[in-house]
Amino acid sequence: MIALLKIEWLKIRKYNTFWILSALFIVLLFTWNYLIGSGVLKLGGKDMNLLNTNYTFPSVWENVGHWTKFFSGLLAIIIIILTTNEYQFRTNRQNVIDGWQRAQFFHAKWLIVLLLSIIVTVFTTLLGIGFAVAHGSPIGNMTEHMDRMLYVFILTMNYFGFALTLSFLIRKSGMTIIIFLLYAYIIEIMAQQLINWKLPSHPGDFLPMQCSAELLNFPMMDMVKTMMAKTGPSHNTLMLVSVGWIVVYYIIGRIRLLKSDW
Amino acid sequence: MSSILSINNIAKSYGPIKALNGVSFDVPQGSVFGVLGPNGSGKTTLLGILMDVLKADSGDYNWFGGMPADAARKKIGCLLETPNFYHYMSAYDNLAITAALRGHGENDRLRVLELVGLLERKDSKFQTFSLGMKQRLAIGAALLSSPGILVLDEPTNGLDPAGIAEIRELIRNLNKQGITIIIASHLLDEVEKVCTHVAILKRGNLLLHGPVNEVLVNEDQLEVMAADMDALQQAMGEMPGVKKIQKADRTLQLSFNNDIDAAAVNSYAAARGITLSHLYIKKKSLETKFMELVGTEDKR
Repeated sequence: MIALLKIEWLKIRKYNTFWILSALFIVLLFTWNYLIGSGVLKLGGKDMNLLNTNYTFPSVWENVGHWTKFFSGLLAIIIIILTTNEYQFRTNRQNVIDGWQRAQFFHAKWLIVLLLSIIVTVFTTLLGIGFAVAHGSPIGNMTEHMDRMLYVFILTMNYFGFALTLSFLIRKSGMTIIIFLLYAYIIEIMAQQLINWKLPSHPGDFLPMQCSAELLNFPMMDMVKTMMAKTGPSHNTLMLVSVGWIVVYYIIGRIRLLKSDW
Repeated sequence: MSSILSINNIAKSYGPIKALNGVSFDVPQGSVFGVLGPNGSGKTTLLGILMDVLKADSGDYNWFGGMPADAARKKIGCLLETPNFYHYMSAYDNLAITAALRGHGENDRLRVLELVGLLERKDSKFQTFSLGMKQRLAIGAALLSSPGILVLDEPTNGLDPAGIAEIRELIRNLNKQGITIIIASHLLDEVEKVCTHVAILKRGNLLLHGPVNEVLVNEDQLEVMAADMDALQQAMGEMPGVKKIQKADRTLQLSFNNDIDAAAVNSYAAARGITLSHLYIKKKSLETKFMELVGTEDKR
């Protein structure tokens, strides 16, 4: 495992696009949260703000968790670029020619997905602690609602795994990025609403990315939240479905990579 | 010689097109083995299967008498089709990845870069390289930590004549050191000059294989003329050692069982009272032989 990651590190180390996108993610996520917490970024009319500006424990977890979800599309694009580059440069073939098994190439990419998900989760957690402490919250209250960070981990694994699998299937970077964005931000939302329209059991919430997105809902101000009673599947069910989809991506990608011509 | 690679009945189709049709042969250890055939004959498909980037529909192969395929590939230096490297990385850094994948050779990078004439450009990004330089880097990568086998697919692609000669020299030298080399090429010249063994493919079928001096035998002919062509034809027909007589324009083309002895033909004709007005040894090039073997329908 370490050997696979070491080789992936050699590939990423000098890849400017990776570092620029990662830096953008870090800077933007921090700034975005900072501006919401300080009431500069608002949603609503003049003196109205529907956004939750409470960055103390426990609601800070809901805030940073949701906004990480919002920005993780950017990081999914990194996964797409790193993977489709291999096809474009035909280095996927060269990796195998030089002695990797096909499965090792496949697992190396999944390790990147895993590692990036861990890094994003850790970063979001640190961000949450930092903001809460800065807003005067005692550190002792930290653990309440901290399960949101587990949701962040599952969501990023899901999003990145989905992006990875699309890359394996489509192989062309531009096309993969467009299809990923169209699916994630338009198609799946339409499909979810359409499916849930007449069905009270909310099966649309179980769509591949939506099942994780539902875990980190939009952080409304507390008053609005109480007006909108939460319906739909429980968080445990959503987590289970998310993990199920991740397994499905793994199987689809594995079959594709092990059986097909490269 | 024991075989270092055994190919057993490999077949592969792309839809209705049969790219390889039950190909089998062995590559002897220490040979320079040419896989020869026109474009589209299945050479690259075959090498792709041997390196596991393509999947055969049926058949199998084994390297080094049955070593696991991925372990075997670590001991093989291979350039398949195009030089495949990370565009944003330098030659030196790209070789670090090759070495890491193979599990050895990281300290061998400067030597191979010097060997292929890229030492001065080692820190230049791959994307700044010319086609010839990319090809050289790919050959360099294949040579990293002196592999037991080199597999080279059209190794002289994109190289200038001097570069081609250098690669040829390099192949000879490496072979002298005991490295088995498998070269796919559509250039007969390349194969003829360096190979000890050859397999000839045409449209996925293996036409011939074996040692070059058995498969690609030179068949020279003697062209003769005399005033009385009928008498000449009769006399030549009676001469011992003459294998075949063909009439071509106003000449006779003679093939022999053994080496051509023009003087013997001349004196044999003279003894029969025929004075030859034309006597010419016609070298039938391997090129012609090759074209006869693999010649496509649309030719001529």
